[in-house]
Amino acid sequence: MFSSILWTGLAIGAIYALIAVTYNVMFSASRVMSFTAGQVGMLGGVIGAWLILRLHMPIIIGFPLTLLGCAAVGVLTEIVAVRPVIAGLEKHLYVLSTLALALMMQQFTAIEWSTEPQPFPRIVGAGFALDEKFWLPLLACAAVIVGLELLYRHTLVGRAFLAIAEDNYAARALGLPERGLRIASFALAGAIAGLAGFAGGQLLLASIANGPMLNFYGFVPVALGGLGNNRGAIVSGLLLGVFQQAANFLFGGVFVSVAVFAAFIVVLMAAPQGLFGAAPTRRV
Amino acid sequence: MARLGLNLMKCPADFWEEPTLLMTRRHAMLASTGALLGTTPFARPALAESGPILIGWLAALTGPSSAPAIGFDRGVRFAADEINAAGGVKGRKVEIVTRDTQGDPTKAVNAVQDMIGRQKVNSIWGPTNSGEALATTAVMARAKMPNMHPCVVDTLIDPAKYPNAFRIAPSNGQWDDAVRNYCLNVLKVKEVAVVGDTTGYGVSAVAASVAAFKKDGANVVYQAQIDATQPDVTPDMLRMKNAGAKVLVVWSVATGMEARLMNERATLGWDAPIIGHPALGSGDVRQLLEKPANWDKVYMAGYASCSYDANGKLPPRTADFVARLAGKVSLQDSSLWWVAAGYDAVKLVTDAVNATGSSTSEAIIGYWNGLRDYPGMFGTYTWTPQQHNGYPTKEVVMSQANSQKDGAFKLAPGYA
Repeated sequence: MFSSILWTGLAIGAIYALIAVTYNVMFSASRVMSFTAGQVGMLGGVIGAWLILRLHMPIIIGFPLTLLGCAAVGVLTEIVAVRPVIAGLEKHLYVLSTLALALMMQQFTAIEWSTEPQPFPRIVGAGFALDEKFWLPLLACAAVIVGLELLYRHTLVGRAFLAIAEDNYAARALGLPERGLRIASFALAGAIAGLAGFAGGQLLLASIANGPMLNFYGFVPVALGGLGNNRGAIVSGLLLGVFQQAANFLFGGVFVSVAVFAAFIVVLMAAPQGLFGAAPTRRV
Repeated sequence: MARLGLNLMKCPADFWEEPTLLMTRRHAMLASTGALLGTTPFARPALAESGPILIGWLAALTGPSSAPAIGFDRGVRFAADEINAAGGVKGRKVEIVTRDTQGDPTKAVNAVQDMIGRQKVNSIWGPTNSGEALATTAVMARAKMPNMHPCVVDTLIDPAKYPNAFRIAPSNGQWDDAVRNYCLNVLKVKEVAVVGDTTGYGVSAVAASVAAFKKDGANVVYQAQIDATQPDVTPDMLRMKNAGAKVLVVWSVATGMEARLMNERATLGWDAPIIGHPALGSGDVRQLLEKPANWDKVYMAGYASCSYDANGKLPPRTADFVARLAGKVSLQDSSLWWVAAGYDAVKLVTDAVNATGSSTSEAIIGYWNGLRDYPGMFGTYTWTPQQHNGYPTKEVVMSQANSQKDGAFKLAPGYA
């Protein structure tokens, strides 16, 4: 029982954490909370299964193509659902536009793929004490943490991302190509979500039902970890996964969601800025 | 008018740009005559009684859950072609007026209103899922439209409220009866775990099943709802096993959840049979199994008419039907019962017209209300004015979920 709580919980938590990072990367570049994050995660599983199982591509080709496809969907999100409404952020029209695009993604996938869950291929094969469906999401999560650290701290483009996230207007005044960087951020976010769906494909299966589920549970670590805080999102995502799996053993059924969201509300009441978010300050 | 309207809908640009090319004087004369006749209370029935027999077909041919409707559609087309090739019914051809509802209740209601108000159909077959039927049944009842459907939700059939609505397939209660009978009287186990998904169907089906098991003296050691997207069902399976369940009854159409239950049962080294909803035998389950053996000892609600006996033979009536379908209708990717029920739905209308000489609502409903042991391809139906569940419970049997061949299944152990 303990082993199941730990490994299944951590694996699911890693997927939630990656979706939370997707939310954050999109938000940092645009100040838009894009509700397509979970759907792109779902597409990571679906596109991966489609390329490898249906088109019989080798994994070494199918995997990067999946990430490219999801990155393209990220760019599409920016063009279709974010750019037209970004001028009026205070009206929160992005809620409608990103939700509408998310619904379109789900319907399109249902029609072109399947409404029923489909199998996802084995990636590595046998030979490990722990099944790969448990450690692949954790490996993907670690790779994203390291990759983002390297990008943000050691590359010029990464610093430009941070500059845009820190102060959009000042960054533009310095001559940074804000639109180009925003598009790149959405492509990066799409690839991260795609990686989450691909790495978690064996656990979640390639199913359209994963879209709303990931949208929902991927948002919880964002709130718990503090909006825009990737480290907080990762830790909160992993904790959420373990807590959810423990609740599965303790309560089961519909009470799992109740337990998760009861805990969520309690945490937010105690720390409204999230477990890892800084309290808002205002320069006077 | 309806036909003209359809033609115009096919080429709207031409119509709006150059209306005179399409709307000739002769068309206008016919249209105005038709309109005049349409407003005369006694003229339309005379025309309707001599024109083609129009059967509305509410088919979720695209979108989620389209597989059953595609199967039903094959039976519908086959029946219409067969009847028309034989000269029709008293010289009248059968026309199927199909509307793709995409499984959407709103689209289904719009399609019903179009079929009743504009197409003037004589009867409606469908919809084929309960969500749509819950929305359309009252609309059809108001218009007294003869309606045959295969939807399982028990409340859809109520001869007092909906005297026009008839069920051609088992209700959920009949599936439940068959499953319970198999557990208690064939397998002779009393310790039962009952689970379903968290949808409205799953919740209501589990509640009804648990109540019926308890009423029959079974010991329901565990009951629960499982989220269909839950990636790990180990906790649920352990609870069922530890509670002492000897059989798992599953009410869900979520094939992912069902496959996970089967895989986890194997992981735990448990061999309790899994019994329940027909979706347990879906091809979607097979591809999600970690090993084909995980599908052993899984039995689903099935139908005697579409089951192979111990010798691998279908019942004679079904075997004859399958022989007629050969080369014309594919059964490789469809359930035989879908095709058979679609065929029966059309035949029940045309037989009503043939027997009564009329295609009015009253004639069709009256004919159906008087049918006793009607030998359909899917079942032997009996309807009365008081009972519109026409499928006999004794023909609902348990099938081996992993035995599908050409759309039919082997009978579960204990029937042979």
